[in-house]
Amino acid sequence: MSAFSPEQTVVSPRTSAESVPAITLQNLRKSYGNLEAVKGLSVVVQPGEIFGLIGPDGAGKTTTFQILAGVMEATAGEVSVLGKPPREARLNLGYLTQKFSLYTDLSVMENLRYSAGLRRVPDAQFAKRAPYLLQQVGLEPFGDRRAGQLSGGMKQKLALCCALIANPSVLLLDEPTTGVDPVSRREFWDLLTAVAAEGVTVVAATPYLDEAERCQRIALIYGGEIQQLGSLANLRDSLGLQRLEVRAGDVATAEQALQASGAPEFVDIQTFGDRLDILVPDAAQGEQRVRDTLAQHQIPINSVRQDAPTLENVFVNRLRQQGSDPPYISFPMKHAGKPKGDIAITTQGLEKVFGTFQAVKGVDLTIRYGEIYGLLGANGAGKTTVIKMLCGLLPPTSGHIELAGETANLSRADVRSRIGYMSQKFTLYDDLTILQNLTFYCGVYGVPQRLQPEKINWVLETCGLQGREHTLTASLPGGWKQRVAFGASVMHEPDILFLDEPTSGVDPLARRQFWRLIRDFAHRGTAILVTTHYLEEAENCHNMGFMVAGEVVAQGSPSDIKGNQPGQLVEMQTTQNQAASDLLKHRLEPWRVSIFGDRLHIVLDNPDQELPTLRQWLQAEDITIHAAEPIPFSLEDAFIGIVQRANVD
Amino acid sequence: MNFLRRLFSGRLWALIRKETQQILRNKQIVFLLLFPPTVQLLVFGLALNPEVTGLDLGVADYSRSADSRELVAALVENDVFQVSTFEESQAALGDQVRAGRITAGLVIPPDFSQELSENQAAPVQVLVDGVDANTAGIAQGYVEQIVNRYNQGLTTPPSGQPESLPIETQVTFLYNPGLLSSWFFVPGVIGVVLTLTGSLVSSTTVIREKDVGTLEQLLMTPAAGWEILMAKIVPLFVLLLGDVLLASALARLVFDLPFRGNYLLFLGLSALYLFVCIGLGIFLATLAENQQQVVLTSFFFNVPLIQLSGAIAPIESMPPFFRHLSFFDPLRHYVQIARSLILKDVGIDALWVNILALAIFAILFLGVSINRFRAQLS
Repeated sequence: MSAFSPEQTVVSPRTSAESVPAITLQNLRKSYGNLEAVKGLSVVVQPGEIFGLIGPDGAGKTTTFQILAGVMEATAGEVSVLGKPPREARLNLGYLTQKFSLYTDLSVMENLRYSAGLRRVPDAQFAKRAPYLLQQVGLEPFGDRRAGQLSGGMKQKLALCCALIANPSVLLLDEPTTGVDPVSRREFWDLLTAVAAEGVTVVAATPYLDEAERCQRIALIYGGEIQQLGSLANLRDSLGLQRLEVRAGDVATAEQALQASGAPEFVDIQTFGDRLDILVPDAAQGEQRVRDTLAQHQIPINSVRQDAPTLENVFVNRLRQQGSDPPYISFPMKHAGKPKGDIAITTQGLEKVFGTFQAVKGVDLTIRYGEIYGLLGANGAGKTTVIKMLCGLLPPTSGHIELAGETANLSRADVRSRIGYMSQKFTLYDDLTILQNLTFYCGVYGVPQRLQPEKINWVLETCGLQGREHTLTASLPGGWKQRVAFGASVMHEPDILFLDEPTSGVDPLARRQFWRLIRDFAHRGTAILVTTHYLEEAENCHNMGFMVAGEVVAQGSPSDIKGNQPGQLVEMQTTQNQAASDLLKHRLEPWRVSIFGDRLHIVLDNPDQELPTLRQWLQAEDITIHAAEPIPFSLEDAFIGIVQRANVD
Repeated sequence: MNFLRRLFSGRLWALIRKETQQILRNKQIVFLLLFPPTVQLLVFGLALNPEVTGLDLGVADYSRSADSRELVAALVENDVFQVSTFEESQAALGDQVRAGRITAGLVIPPDFSQELSENQAAPVQVLVDGVDANTAGIAQGYVEQIVNRYNQGLTTPPSGQPESLPIETQVTFLYNPGLLSSWFFVPGVIGVVLTLTGSLVSSTTVIREKDVGTLEQLLMTPAAGWEILMAKIVPLFVLLLGDVLLASALARLVFDLPFRGNYLLFLGLSALYLFVCIGLGIFLATLAENQQQVVLTSFFFNVPLIQLSGAIAPIESMPPFFRHLSFFDPLRHYVQIARSLILKDVGIDALWVNILALAIFAILFLGVSINRFRAQLS
């Protein structure tokens, strides 16, 4: 159980303390056969609280949600929702999962009306609430569009609206923002914060830890038990460490150098995009040690900042202490010689039109062997369509494609055997075992029989699934399926690798392992085209393109992209981030304001002059700015700015 | 040997193994292959069994003679008919038929006995309720049969001239004239069962891949469209062949069908027909977006296929246009083959047109579906 008791003042439930807790779990247990998924979970959630659940893949989060939602019975323990058993409380429950729970043949409005009808929402209330909800998440213009034609992010926002239409008292969210772009998921959370302020209790699991930072209390679950429970401040303080944000020329070599130094000051070293987060007991001493070590290795330092640890730092550190860092095993490469030529993929003026909808407009790309190219953009911007055209699954309406030196027939078997492809959705057969899946992909890609055991073993070891290879794939948690699917797509040593959101729904430690492998493949000459909604991962890319509404609006290396952002980014801590964000979005252009965990990021043209004005505006609403300091743009800041500015045009 | 080794380490083998593992895991498909064919065959076979007893017979006997009573006695003798009413007039009898209270009405004219004694043809009239076409056909067949036998008892054999048989039946079908019934249901039902099971099972295995989204991944592998489909076809083909064996065992054991022709030839031609069914199923799967659509589309195709095939209703009873259209129904050809081989002893020489037609259908369906399969993603 928790290492310390949560402070009641932090919880601050809005309703009176005598009221029934929204959720009570007492020693909850759930077993599937021999496997104990949840081992004695106890927690009380107060009405109006936003409660976050974080944990690695397979920690027991989904099982807990299914029990809370009354979909599944607990093996032992007590569960009560609003003082009743879950099944009796279900009219007051909203439950949202990773999979879209929408009717794809119905329009946005029809879906809403259906959900309202199921829960007997009076017409008058529906007429008031539906437009409000749609407007909150930017779906207002799409009322007549069929749900099946919405992008992934829009679908999840609509699913949230459907869950909220009946004014539920408790909202259960099982990683609903998986695969949702940074702009959409912020809109999603803005709406969540708004409904929580109305008294709705929100319990949310999320793979994005900056989202979890917006929760009032957070439980870190691991191995079916709550390892830690408390407010963000509690969790941070429990580490008893400070964070150094180090930006150096080459992050990977800097990390190696620091790791190799073995200095006791460096409690944990974590890469986070273009920077290293180093956890140290004392900031000043630690900084000195970092500067000395890197100077020894002649690695130039761009900047060192001292700050409090982030939730991700806590998470990664705790899991590493548990020894659940997935092993890094180098891929058993058999391929001799690098691919011929230099350029793997080029396109000129690539276009795709579906009916009257222009999905892709004049895309020009060049990707070399050994290069990692990131294709970034909001949901529905056309990334997947571009990938499908590049691999010959979809014929382009016009434009020129060259893939592995081939221009005419991209679907020829010998071209296909040089390509690896991992699609956004299910790549594996759920009704086969893990081993059967891997053997199948080996066979179908023509991996020679004698090499197959070694490659399959590599996948199993990398995923930590040895001894479980006869498990049915369907029973694996989502994040693990992704890992196996990645393994399946590279066993034949492709020269060109397409990865469409490979890390969506994968926990932070496994994502780091993923990228280490991806960098490995690039290093050995594989050209890689990857999409992701984790922008800090995109720092691993050599080059990237930002797509908005079918067009590539910005292209370049991560530093080019960040360098081209207008204005100066200011990070703020305020007493009420959500209210401050709502206010400032109203007063400034909306793209200038976004919430990053427990911070506000604001883009100002001239901070020295504008900050005092902002301070006044906020003061008028009783919001105080604790701290405000200029920070460099991250890719996520750049993404939000680029996407939102382009949408305004 | 070398070729075999290549085959078993190659892509096709990987695909076939995967399909087999999936099918074996999928209890539903195994169930779908075993249970419905058995039930369909038993239900259709028993329900359509031409052995009928206890048909209600109404009699309007204007003759009221010993001869007429003898004729009625002959009709009820073997329990096929039971006399449920005697009516005064033909009109009253007609009303009974119309009301559905009796299946057949026998009208014996006043001069029946007299004409018989003068060795003249003595016409009797039979009114049959044609609403239930099957029973009507059966009733008609029995009346003719029994009257013929009665005739033979009357004439002093051998007369040699069938025209001068003493009693002449004139059968009038009310509501549904010109229908024939036959004993050939079970071979026809075997064809129907193979069509339904084969097309449904193969379309669901293809559509499932599209439903869950693994199809895209599969198309990205070096496997060619035909390899992917071939891998889906082979295990299904083996299982459906098991269905043929199951159906013929039931036909032999439960319905006592003679299987006079070459059984291996029957198996071979059934195998050919399976390719047609699987091709049809895959074709349907390429038309539909999801499982629901494919089931509904298969109704749209399967019902006319069965109706036109002559498996249940005789082709001879169709209007000329449909009679010609039935040549484009693969099931018609298979049913003809099955009947010929099960009930008669004929060889390829008598069946080559049907065999050729099946081969053409198999190539056509499989060819079109392979082409559509690749093209469908865009």
